[in-house]
Amino acid sequence: MTLVSHLRGGRAGLAHPRLSAGGRFKPERFKLGRFNLSGFRPGRMGPVGRSLLHLGCLSLLGFGLGGCMGDMPRPMGGLDRQLEQAGSSSAPALAGRWLALIAGRGGRDQVLLVDVERGLPVPLPGLNRPDAQPLSVAVNRDGNRLVVVRQRDGQTELVLYRRELMALESIAMQPPGVPRRVSLRGDGHELAVEVSRGGLWQIDLIAIP
Amino acid sequence: MGLTGCGSWSWGRRSAGPAGFGQDNRQDPALSGNGRLLASIVERSGRDTVILQEQPSGRLLPLGPLQRQQPHRSPSLSWNGRYLAVIVQQGARRLTVIEDRSNGQLHRLPLPADSEPQRLSLAPDGRRLAIEVVRGGRSLVQMFDLSDLLEADLPGGLPTSGGGLVDGDAAPGQR
Repeated sequence: MTLVSHLRGGRAGLAHPRLSAGGRFKPERFKLGRFNLSGFRPGRMGPVGRSLLHLGCLSLLGFGLGGCMGDMPRPMGGLDRQLEQAGSSSAPALAGRWLALIAGRGGRDQVLLVDVERGLPVPLPGLNRPDAQPLSVAVNRDGNRLVVVRQRDGQTELVLYRRELMALESIAMQPPGVPRRVSLRGDGHELAVEVSRGGLWQIDLIAIP
Repeated sequence: MGLTGCGSWSWGRRSAGPAGFGQDNRQDPALSGNGRLLASIVERSGRDTVILQEQPSGRLLPLGPLQRQQPHRSPSLSWNGRYLAVIVQQGARRLTVIEDRSNGQLHRLPLPADSEPQRLSLAPDGRRLAIEVVRGGRSLVQMFDLSDLLEADLPGGLPTSGGGLVDGDAAPGQR
């Protein structure tokens, strides 16, 4: 199931054309010296392309960003293309092999959990609902616990989703406050959440059994 | 511990502890994978600045080159806190940087000129980075493979005290 079909309610089990038979990405990349340039195909890069590449390197040096001798992150092209096709996406959270994020089309957002190594979303039954707007999400290392800040019925709430149990539980703010951004420890047994109280933003740490 | 009705929990809770800045706002929490460190953003001299605290003591830990280039936003930590990724301001542009606290090295990660970073998340092992960018008025999450740039920071690794020192004496039981 691709991200796009997932967002459209597609059926699981569809093969993705950009995955190899082993289920792993085959990113298109071209090594020039120590630099990996995703998307470049050396056989198709003529003199104009090479000139543009050199100009780009000089421009980066001119802006003092470390230029071509600096650190160049290598884009994960296959997954990026899927995310781009899925519409808007925001609030990423990585842990283990998992990427949790908020994605959507036409103003209807939902939480997605993507297995980065396979490039596939996994189902989250019972988490997303049409009357809820997710604002922030975090996932633990094994992908079984997600914490989500979301707006529903005019209220902002923090919830814990246990994927193995398909169970959703509310976590109350005590003292009362309005949660915003959330972070989860690797084992999923503690979270840190930004809370608005009395005109101040504070950070609460909450242990989760 | 248990349910307190309507699915609401009464689990252990505590404040993140004083950051030495009185009743200032504290935002953007980020726990290290092992939970031993908490990064957050506070206002210092009128500028949003990332701070790093040991948990549960709340002790502030030193940062290297990241102490400059404010305002900071969206910090993210690796498993043992060896790496701290954050969005900084460089002139008119926002830039994603990662400080290696074991040696004080700052990795600058340039993005295409039409992509402005908004939020980021560093994988706890330091091998991947997800960045939310705004491009053409649209929010997009982009993934980057950092395995050629950073050593992995795995569970069981040594905690890092900052300033290029590996803190072999800290946090018994964390190794």
